[in-house]
Order: sequence, then structure tokens, then C-alpha cells
Amino acid sequence: MKPGELRYIWHESTGMLWRRKVPNLISVIIMALSLLILITFLAVTLNIASLIEKTSEELRVYVYLDDGVSGELSRDIQIRLMSEQGVDEVAYISKEEALEDFRETLGENSELLNAVEQNPLPDSYRIRMKQEYIRSGVLEAMAGRVGQWEGVEEVVYGRKWFERGEKLVRSFYMIDLVLGLIVFLSVVFVISNTVRLTILGSSRTIEILKLVGATNTYIQIPFILEGALQGVVSSLLAIGMLAIIHRFTLQYLPGVAFIRVDAIAVFVVLCAVIGALGSMAALRRFLKM
Amino acid sequence: MNQEKRIIAGVYHVSRGLGKHFSLEDINLQVANGEFVFLVGPSGAGKSTLLKLMYMDDFPDKGQVVVGQFVSTRMKRKSIPDLRRKIGIIFQDFRLLEDRTVFENVALAMKVTGAGMPEIKKQITDILTRVGLYHKRYDYPPALSGGEQQRVAIARAVANRPAILFADEPTGNLDPVATKNILELLFKINAGGTAVLMATHDIELVRSFGQRIIYLEEGRVALDKEMIFVGDIRDRIGGSSVSESASRLSEYDITGGEEE
Repeated sequence: MKPGELRYIWHESTGMLWRRKVPNLISVIIMALSLLILITFLAVTLNIASLIEKTSEELRVYVYLDDGVSGELSRDIQIRLMSEQGVDEVAYISKEEALEDFRETLGENSELLNAVEQNPLPDSYRIRMKQEYIRSGVLEAMAGRVGQWEGVEEVVYGRKWFERGEKLVRSFYMIDLVLGLIVFLSVVFVISNTVRLTILGSSRTIEILKLVGATNTYIQIPFILEGALQGVVSSLLAIGMLAIIHRFTLQYLPGVAFIRVDAIAVFVVLCAVIGALGSMAALRRFLKM
Repeated sequence: MNQEKRIIAGVYHVSRGLGKHFSLEDINLQVANGEFVFLVGPSGAGKSTLLKLMYMDDFPDKGQVVVGQFVSTRMKRKSIPDLRRKIGIIFQDFRLLEDRTVFENVALAMKVTGAGMPEIKKQITDILTRVGLYHKRYDYPPALSGGEQQRVAIARAVANRPAILFADEPTGNLDPVATKNILELLFKINAGGTAVLMATHDIELVRSFGQRIIYLEEGRVALDKEMIFVGDIRDRIGGSSVSESASRLSEYDITGGEEE
């Protein structure tokens, strides 16, 4: 290829974009709207996922000690807890502190506690687990083990609640994955079809270019660039629309997160690639490749 | 046929799409350098199919087509653009890009070869002047008459100074005056050394020129000779060697029909 040819290909590309601005604009809008569905879905999924993570992070395992356990045994239990796998932090809560906490929790109704002569609450250890160990299997095993120890009365972490939540999360991800796949495939279909239609509209141009001896490269590059550009512009447009939706949502649901910058970059590149591939696939027919 | 001249385009024992509507059977014809040949025949005789084989938009089932150094049986798809740059093609429907100016349409043929812009400007100024459309170089094809559009198409076809110009019913959409102008232009181009092979169903059009005529009928060459028709066509066509085609010609409806 001569350098002159490359320059004409560039002119051809920019010229084509300008000449076909109306069909291109329509394509971009169609693509942006379908991409908006995809990234909205993605954003909702990510927010729910981080909500699930945050909730599970707040999980604490309480180890209640027998009444009248000696300080030595209590410290011994603490050391052994620290060396349990997956334990991140162990905090001692004396029965007095527990009562104080309880009083705070009750608030206005705390005078009810005045009726109680003795402090009924036991000393306890509050354990924070590492994120990756917050799974029902691990927790159950640990609770079983620690519950056997001398001086331990009970290990509590809201097992029933936790297992139900975990099941819910698992089915949520399953449904989300299937839905996401369907949305993704439809978006890919819409994009490649839209690109294909704009190329079909140029079948005469392609025919004439072939007639005057344009190489396949000369013919293809403008269309491939056009497809890629459509992908980029429509994905940026979709992100812009999502940003507006996000800002609006924040008024009602503070703390809702936007898509991360690196995810946006991947998304835009992906859309460019889908656009370019869509163009190439549509061109194959015309160029008899 | 002038044996002493170099053959620029040749069709040898070519068959294509036998049994189909636009079929060709065992076609032989050669066009020499600088020659002007009319390819005549009724609609559906296979003229466009034959031309397509010659500019290699299609390939024969049997036989071979040779244009310049390009041989259909040894042709790679990749070298088709090379062939197209060395020939010119025009059609009944002009095939211009309506969203580009006259200048850009003609320039396209040179741009795809990677020619430099100064060279393109000089060459196109020259060609557009010759076809009489330099003053309309910034117009768009829809603003031009049919005859003018065809002249733009011709300018594009000859921009790379081809050795041969294939014309598929170039006057099919034109009124008599425009038709005459286009024919004159084609003769002028031919006088400059470019061979011309022009397909037409309009035998009345070609009868008075004294050019070589190849008569194609039902996919076969029925007649190939230089001739001038005087008087009624039905009295003149034919001769001892083509008595069969002459009898068929007598039934030929010169009003023709729609071009394929």
C-alpha cells in the first residue's frame, strides 16, 4: 500500500462519517439505548453485590462464656480463638459492657433493666471474620469446634438467618448471570445488526469502489472505523445517560455507587470491538471474502 | 479481425451458466488494441454476462478470458482491483456516487490507485475539460442530466488511461441527442487509442458507423464482421456464412426490450 493510499483511506473514512451523519446518528442512538439497558443492569448488579458484601462484613460471631470463668481460662480462650482460621479480630466484652450496650439499644425503655437485680448477661468474645471465610460451612464448623471448648457456653452467629441469606444471594447471582447473558447477547445482536444495516445502505458505494479498482482494504477500513466509532460514541452516550440516572437515584437511595472507571474503559473498548467486528462480518458478503 | 494487431481482450471457448436465462455457450471473440467493437443483440442474449466475464466480476464455467496480462483461469481475487485500474467500465445507470461532486467521482478512480493529489487534479481537469464538464466539477450527479452523468462516468472510466473501455448499454437511458453525444465521445476516446467494446440492444443505433459488430443471440456469437447497413436492416444483415443468423435476425425486434 502506498502512503498516498493510506491518506485517501483516512479521507474516505472521515468523509463517509460526515456524509452518512444521519444514518450514523440513528444507529448510535439505537445502540446507546440498548447499551444503557446493559449497563444499568450491570450497575444494579454491582450495587447489590457490594450491598451483600457489606452486610456480610458486618457479621459477628459471639462466643458466650460460662458464668464465673476464670480470667486465665478466658485469656486462654481468646488466644485459641485468635489462632482459629479465618478469624480477623477478637474483642472481649465483659458482662458490664454488654449490659451497657443493651441499655443503649433499649434507649427510652432502658429503665426496664432496673427491674433486674442481677446482670443476666455473660462475658463474651466478639469475633470479626475475614471476608473470604464468611461462608456457612466454615462458620458452622468453627461454631461446632469452639462450642466444645471448656468455659464456652454457646457460639452464636445467626446461623438460620445467615444460611437463608446465603441461599438468596446465590440464587440472585444465578438469575442475574442468566439475565445478564440474555441482555448482553441482545445488545451484541442489536449493535451488529445496526452496523450491518448501515453497510447495506452503502452497498452501491461498495460496488462502485470495487468497480474502479479499490482494494478490499481500501473499502473495508472506513466501515470498520465507522463501526468502532459507533461503538465508542454509543457506549459513552449510554454511560452519560446512566450518570444522569445515577444522580437522580442518589436523591432517593444515597450511597448508590456508579460504575468504576476501569469498568467503563473496558466497556467502551468492548463496544468498539463489537462495532468493528459487526462491520467486518457485514462486509464479508459484499467483498466475497 | 486484424491479426497483425495485438489483442487487448480475448474470450476463448467460454461457456457460462448453461441452461440458465443469461447463458453463454462457446463464445470466441477478440478485441485488438485501439479497436471499436459493438456487441449487439436482443435483451437476454448474454451481452451483460459476457461483459461481466471480461471485467471479471464473474468467471466462466468453461474456457478462459484474457484481458491484458490478466487470465481468468489463473486470476487471484486479490488482483481484480489491479485489472479494474487498467480498464474502464460504464453502465446504463451511470453508477455515480450521488453524495460526491463530479470531481470527487472522477478522482475516486485515481485515488484508489494511490496517485498523488497534484497529478489527480491535473489529470481530472484535463479529462473534465475534454468531456465538457469542467464548469460543473463541483455539482452533484443528481443535478446533472442523464447525458452529463454518463459523461462523468466516462471521465471516471478513462481517468487512469485504460487500454480498453467496456460499455454496457451506455445510451440505454438517454434521449437521441444525448445518445449521439455519448457515441461521439466514445469515438473520440477510441481515436485516442483506447479500445472500446460497447454492448447495445439498439441495432438501429450502430447500423451507420461501419464498425465491427459482434451479434450475440441466445448466448452464441451469431455474427462477427465489419459492416455498414444501408437501407433496411433486414435486407442487409447476413451473408453466405451467416445465413442462419440472418434468418433469425429477420425476426429480430429492433425496438428491443428492457436491458437485463
